[in-house]
Amino acid sequence: MHPNETAIHDYVDDALGAAERAEIDRHLASCDDCRALVADLREIRRVAGSLDLREPPVRAWGRIERAIRLENEHSAARESHLSGLLRSKAMWTWMAAAAVLVLAVAAGLRYTPRQAGQVTTGSAATTPGTAAGAGGNGDAQAVEAELRQAAEHYENAIKGLEQIANAEQGELDPRTAATLQKNLSVIDQAITESRAALRAEPTSAPAQQSLIDSFKTKMALLQDTVALINEMRKGNEAGAARIVSGLKPKG
Amino acid sequence: MTASKQRPVIPFPSKDATAGSAADGRADAAEAASLVSRSQAGDVDAFETIYRQHAARIYTLACRMAGSPEDGEDLLQEIFLQAYRKLGSFKGDSSLGTWLYRLALNHCLDYVRSRRAKMSKLTETLDAETSYQPVARRDTPIAKLDLERALDRLPDGCREAFVLHDVEGFDHKEVGRLLGIAEGTSKSQVFKARAKLRALLR
Repeated sequence: MHPNETAIHDYVDDALGAAERAEIDRHLASCDDCRALVADLREIRRVAGSLDLREPPVRAWGRIERAIRLENEHSAARESHLSGLLRSKAMWTWMAAAAVLVLAVAAGLRYTPRQAGQVTTGSAATTPGTAAGAGGNGDAQAVEAELRQAAEHYENAIKGLEQIANAEQGELDPRTAATLQKNLSVIDQAITESRAALRAEPTSAPAQQSLIDSFKTKMALLQDTVALINEMRKGNEAGAARIVSGLKPKG
Repeated sequence: MTASKQRPVIPFPSKDATAGSAADGRADAAEAASLVSRSQAGDVDAFETIYRQHAARIYTLACRMAGSPEDGEDLLQEIFLQAYRKLGSFKGDSSLGTWLYRLALNHCLDYVRSRRAKMSKLTETLDAETSYQPVARRDTPIAKLDLERALDRLPDGCREAFVLHDVEGFDHKEVGRLLGIAEGTSKSQVFKARAKLRALLR
């Protein structure tokens, strides 16, 4: 009879006493399967302890930098206001709104799609995707309510960003504005398709994920637009060029 | 409720969390203090230097804890924004890398707890301790990239415990404290993760 799972893992972790260890050693001497298991577990441990670092996407710093600069400008504008050196009301309002909206993402507009029925009661998890049945309808409604709430958050944030971006698009050169518009159209199409898929199957995790991903993509693009307008207003050509270089045509 | 009750103190993992980070080798304490000071004064370029030195370490942790590069990227951005706001609390008692690692780990743990509360997917016990059924032996060594991919496919709960124990080097007692679970549960989650990884990597 094979040793139980805990004993094997403790053996691999060198967490057994001498007697227990000797017992496993005796078993391993005559059991090819358990020797193979121990070898695999040791290999997993070895590789797990020597994994390489992952490099973050290049765009990550740009977004952090823009959020920091907006935050700094927000603070500076507030100090300026307090000392009586107020900027024009329109500029202050725009900057504050942009800062709040950009930072709203970092504050955690997150939604994790799940299927109805993916709820654990004690140690007995129900089967995913079983929306039917006594508890199923409740779960399905809960999932739909969560998704609706997340979608509302995104839609509100997107609406605010769109208002800013649309009002200030005159700051952009026509080619950049066209690229932005084309990208937004592609994303809007993806949102429409995700919504249609959700209507057909409201508890589908892939459809939920697709909708949320589309919202995230749209928010990221609108953030880039707002940041770009900001750089143009400041006359920071290098900053604007950095942002434009990240605006790849979609579709 | 005190702050220490709300959130456990982040211990050093048995394997130094910042070991292997080229950042700590390059940036000595004086340089780190200078970068922090300049960043606090609004020098974004100085903060970018801090980011460049430590981003890979933080991003890697975030991706593995979250189980997806997309969420890892979100976490990375949140962590560095939080770090920027909290630079004043860096007193140089530990290295800048360790300070950032603790902040990042706390942020990742908050994310994991919040997601766990929503998903309620963490299974607290292993299946009954029946005799273990070994599967066929692998013929080739495990490639790092394959293990990375398989990590992202682990269920929530056992993935975080595995990352903290087998990858980051915390012991089970520390993992239990960090995840708010019993030491025995940490063990069972790590064992479950290894068994699933073995099956995924066959």
